[in-house]
Amino acid sequence: MALDRKIAYINLSTGQTEIKPIPLELRKKFIGGRGLDAYLLYNHTPQGCDPLSPENPLIISGGLLTATCASATARAHFMAKSPLTGLLGSANMGGFFAPELAWAGFHHLVITGKAEKPVYLWIHNGEIEIRDAAGLWGKTSADTQWAIREELGDEEIKSAVIGPAGENLVRYACVMTGIKNAAGRTGMGCVMGSKNLKAVAVRGTMDIKISYPLEALEFNKKFIEQITSAKVNKTQGALGTPFIWGATNCWGGIRTRNFQYNQMENADDIEPEAIDEIANKTIGPHHMAGCFGCQVHCRTQYRIPSGPYAGKYDEGPEYTSLGAFGAEPDCKSAETLLTANYLVNQYGVDNLEIGSIISWAMELYELGIIGSKETDGLDLSFGNEKALLEMIHRICTRKGWLGNVLADGGVPAAASIGKNSFDYLIQVKGMNNLHSDERATPALALGIATASRGSDHLRSRPAIDLYHLPVDVLRKIYSSPIAYSGPLSSEQTEYVGKAWEVFWQENCYMAVDCLGICKYHTVFLGATLPNFEDWPKAIYYNTGLEFTPEDIWAVADRCNNIERLFNLREGLTRNDLSKGDTLNHRYFDEPLRRGAPDVIGLSIDRDKFNGMVDEFYGHHGWDQNGLPTAETLKRLGLDQEPTHLL
Amino acid sequence: MAIESTKVSASETLTKTRSFGKIRCHNPSCMKRMEPTPGSKEITCPTCGMAYRIYWLGPNLPRIRGPVWDVNRKLIEKSGSSKNNPQ
Repeated sequence: MALDRKIAYINLSTGQTEIKPIPLELRKKFIGGRGLDAYLLYNHTPQGCDPLSPENPLIISGGLLTATCASATARAHFMAKSPLTGLLGSANMGGFFAPELAWAGFHHLVITGKAEKPVYLWIHNGEIEIRDAAGLWGKTSADTQWAIREELGDEEIKSAVIGPAGENLVRYACVMTGIKNAAGRTGMGCVMGSKNLKAVAVRGTMDIKISYPLEALEFNKKFIEQITSAKVNKTQGALGTPFIWGATNCWGGIRTRNFQYNQMENADDIEPEAIDEIANKTIGPHHMAGCFGCQVHCRTQYRIPSGPYAGKYDEGPEYTSLGAFGAEPDCKSAETLLTANYLVNQYGVDNLEIGSIISWAMELYELGIIGSKETDGLDLSFGNEKALLEMIHRICTRKGWLGNVLADGGVPAAASIGKNSFDYLIQVKGMNNLHSDERATPALALGIATASRGSDHLRSRPAIDLYHLPVDVLRKIYSSPIAYSGPLSSEQTEYVGKAWEVFWQENCYMAVDCLGICKYHTVFLGATLPNFEDWPKAIYYNTGLEFTPEDIWAVADRCNNIERLFNLREGLTRNDLSKGDTLNHRYFDEPLRRGAPDVIGLSIDRDKFNGMVDEFYGHHGWDQNGLPTAETLKRLGLDQEPTHLL
Repeated sequence: MAIESTKVSASETLTKTRSFGKIRCHNPSCMKRMEPTPGSKEITCPTCGMAYRIYWLGPNLPRIRGPVWDVNRKLIEKSGSSKNNPQ
């Protein structure tokens, strides 16, 4: 049955591997995927360890439902102590890697140690080999995957790889699979690079037994209908994730010129409809692709239409690339956007982080905090598209003073640059924000401030807060599976009730990350998509495990708390600007200048924000410093951690 | 078996609230629902005056592509004169 899949411990220093079953007790407490990874991380990471040391474990997993009959369960999760933040490292990617890992016999890998020379892992039908990767080192992420297939003689092999950015220990290097699927955030590719681990290649034909296959398939048909009939997914299936741009750039939720403005005016060439035209011309009308077992197909395929990289094939860009290579550096050309997207995919680096950090450097250049001496003569003005592309090359290869400094991440870079450069860095917990501007949306501001892996939109963002849903609809969503009778508000600019929304979404996203389900298949961008009440059937029919909606909520709550324990152990404190649950002063001190009439002049009210943080802590059962109380830990069964059961 | 096989979930009941053929004004406190004429390229919110460019994904699926920029600019300037706008 699905629960037969194993966990493998691989020590790259010694070459030893050990395979164990996953105890049912831990399945019930942490389900799988990100949740069980968090348990493993908390149990296997020495406190205060250097993220680039052999002791830092890299944990890779699929979700509980991965490779079953449940739809869109392709997500692979990567976790380690982050070399970018020094706190929780966690990233998640789609594609085809996770189900292949499951068919190869494994649900979780815990990789420790450091190989003496570049290696890759070859995992197939229950077997694990450590192979020489000398011939792969230096290759781009796509070329690496093709080379592995050629070497092993199987075109169906799926690999999670690093590109040159990971090899060069860029602290926000990602892990890649396929052309653009990226476990992008917090530098998991850098951790792989530090272990001399170029790739994890998987291929499996092992049976995955489904507990009630007919019921599982029948239920999944209903699931698919609910997913594909949603307006949001019909739109996403046509334009990809950039479809969000139309709304956010209208009302003023796009940070532009780093954080100076909140709307990118007259940028019609990088709107998703314009990208779609390029994809139509360069690929054809059927240019949307999907991950394993997904019916939404949100991934645009395209060729770069012009310029030095004309004709190169790529996928995306995601919504985040529109901001990272469009709004933030104020570059308005589709050619530049698509070229930058191609480059980061090939180098294997986090598009959000690199676009944001270059835009920060552009603001420092504009202010005279850095000059041509630091840039080695490069004109780093906003809107200089060649400079944007050049900086991507320099950072990923650590070329030049500034390229090398920015490769270490924002907080260390601010320390190297000095003066008041840190004041302009839009980050939380050492990780830069995506291009969204949260000054008109207190709920979203709270989400990025308290997200466990740093400034982030995929941990707890109540995106439906932007839809002006009636309170009775909000209550229907947010009062299940746990009763909530407190206030809720339809207004995105309000503070009331938002802490609960963020708390609920945090548990919702943790649950899908444990199950392996893509966030576009739950209450993220669509209010009518499946959530807690819908998942027990999928779990039961596929695995035979019985969970009530309340059980799933409790697991998610527990997993969020063990992530919290990890962060606290590594130094998180509430008001620390680079390791806490707070925001850059600009959120409070610089009002919005563009966008819809209702948002101009808004900023985050500091007192109300602190009140939301208090409330959010209260929902979690944390004290005013953000520490889980003894009672909370006992309630969640975490009071004895670390228990070292796995 | 712990799961209830016949109960309709909250998300399933909410699918009835889906509206096709309509869009919402993106001005946060306005958010008025508008029904553009099929095939139309632009629409102006009758309540707050924001103007939008429309893109049609299908005959029943209009979406807002972006603001009409000159109207957007005028609204910014007008708002900026009466609100806390530093520049």
